[in-house]
This record gives sequence, structure tokens and C-alpha cells, in this order.
Amino acid sequence: MDSSPELQRFLQEEKQKAMIAEMVGKLTSECWDKCITSTPGSKFSSSESTCLANCAQRYLDMTMLIQKKFQSMQQ
Amino acid sequence: MDPFSSPSSSGISSGQSVPSADVLMDQLKTQLAQAYAEEFFETVRSKCFTKCITKPGSSLSGSESSCIARCMERYIEATGIISRALFNANR
Repeated sequence: MDSSPELQRFLQEEKQKAMIAEMVGKLTSECWDKCITSTPGSKFSSSESTCLANCAQRYLDMTMLIQKKFQSMQQ
Repeated sequence: MDPFSSPSSSGISSGQSVPSADVLMDQLKTQLAQAYAEEFFETVRSKCFTKCITKPGSSLSGSESSCIARCMERYIEATGIISRALFNANR
């Protein structure tokens, strides 16, 4: 049964998906804590939704900054 | 029982087959989906308890119940906002 490469591919894919899901989950949790400071309403205020989007993007910026800093520290 | 298998050597008796890769993949997908759902449920539970049940009474009040319902909707919405922000950033 030559399913091994197919299974490998599948496992790789699912591993990727799991990593992404974990990152989204963790970020949502932290950004919720940072941005939603009052009792949840029937919709987000524009400042709340902007804060959430900003939070995710600043997290990415920060990640790149940390990577660069690490690289320069290894020289 | 055929002479080539013994009951103690493996749990597989002659005639049974090992699950195919497709079955395994389906089972794995189902289990993963379940795990994601359970984790999400747990997160929402924790967040909304924090936000909505500030002074536990002898029962859930109407305002606490509607707060929890709104909180769940908002948290799902927040997950969408974060996902989109993460994937639109990869231009």
C-alpha cells in the first residue's frame, strides 16, 4: 500500500493548519484582553475593531523586529 | 483459526485489514476538528466568565445571560478580525 507519501503530505498539511490555528487562537485571546475593556456589546465599536486589527498587525511587526534583533545578536 | 496467526501476537486476526490511509486521514481530521472546537469552547467560556459574571449571585441573571450571548458572538467576530488581519498582512 503506497499511501505513505500521501499520508506524509497530509500530516504536513494538518501540522501547518494546526500551527496557524494555534497562532490565531493565542492572538485572539491576547488581543481580546487588550482591546475589549468593557462589557461586550451587540457589536464592536469602531475603536474596538480597529484595536483588534492593529493588535494582530503589530504582533507581526514585533515578530520581525525580534527576528532581526536575534540575527544581529548572533554576529 | 488458521495456522499462521495466533491470538496473542496481534489484535488483528486473519480476515481483518488495517484501516486504509483514507480512513485514517478522515479520522484524524474529525479528531482535530473536535480538538479545535473544544479548545475554542474553553477559551470562550473563560473570557465570557471574566467579562460577564463579575459578582456571582444565586442564579444567572437576565443581564448576565444576555452578556454571555453577546460575548460569544463578539469573540467569534474577534477571531475573524484577527484571522483576516494576519492573512491580509501577507501581501
